[in-house]
Amino acid sequence: MPAQTRRADAGAARRSEKSDLLRPALEHLVKGIVDNPDDVRVRMVDSRRGARLEVRVHPEDLGTVIGRGGRTAKALRQVVGSIGGRGVRVDIMDSY
Amino acid sequence: MRSTNVTDTSSASPRQAEDADDAMVASSGDAERDDVQNAAAPILDDSSSASADADEEEDEDEEDGDDEDDAAEGAAATGKSGKGTETLFRESEIAADYIEGLLDILDYDGDIDELVSAGRPMVEVVGGRLNALVGTRGATLEALQELARLAVFRQTGTPSRLLLDIGGYRAGRRKELGAVAKNAAEKVKEFGEPVRLEPMSAFERKCVHDVINALAGVESESEGVEPSRRIVVRPSA
Repeated sequence: MPAQTRRADAGAARRSEKSDLLRPALEHLVKGIVDNPDDVRVRMVDSRRGARLEVRVHPEDLGTVIGRGGRTAKALRQVVGSIGGRGVRVDIMDSY
Repeated sequence: MRSTNVTDTSSASPRQAEDADDAMVASSGDAERDDVQNAAAPILDDSSSASADADEEEDEDEEDGDDEDDAAEGAAATGKSGKGTETLFRESEIAADYIEGLLDILDYDGDIDELVSAGRPMVEVVGGRLNALVGTRGATLEALQELARLAVFRQTGTPSRLLLDIGGYRAGRRKELGAVAKNAAEKVKEFGEPVRLEPMSAFERKCVHDVINALAGVESESEGVEPSRRIVVRPSA
């Protein structure tokens, strides 16, 4: 059924377009709250266990990005989840 | 699109706005300071985060509990934070830039208003298709507000009491909660028994406290621990 195939393809394209926005969106959110925005690196990693976003910041900014009790990291995850990244993990890496 | 205005009396009920503000500000302001001080804190330290949460809970108790005394003081809105209108306006500007940057990346349409209202910086985003940025029961809105406050903090070095609203969510929610509170108060008066409301966020609880405090014969109190913290309305002693 060609029609159905096309529809599925369109859906997949839309999805990947959406997740293409996640990386720059998260990068913007992180850059805005750290002291060393030029040292922010956000990478989208696709693994068999699903997509995840790896966030690397200057070691001095690690505490800011994680926040007390992890609340800033939680806020970042909440936003990512809402803008099309449901199921996408956000990992804040402690090695730069 | 961006528009700006500075008003100290734009809110229909400045007193309410002030109260709600206090609810959100005390905890996040402290949190931000702590974030900075603990910049070298380990990533996963459950014990430290648990105690931090306990502190926060106390802060919120205070916020929640602050009612009429606070409202009276609240009249001198700017005096409280000790910040001039210009400083407050600068804060809403920074936050608006931060939020605008996100909308641009996501290609969401929205008009962003930056203003100073009842002595605090405010950013209001108005437009269609913004539901995603509000989230279930405002969870994403709260997250964005917290991040925007951090963005302000990074540039000014002082914690901000910034309020963010998206798609009129806070205004609408305040109205709904007013009805919930009045309903509960009527039940309490009719049956003389306490009424336990469903769990709410700090902002939501403040909305309810504001309404209950203005009514005679009933009083309200928060109990439990986030995220199950809830208000109990009872006959006043």
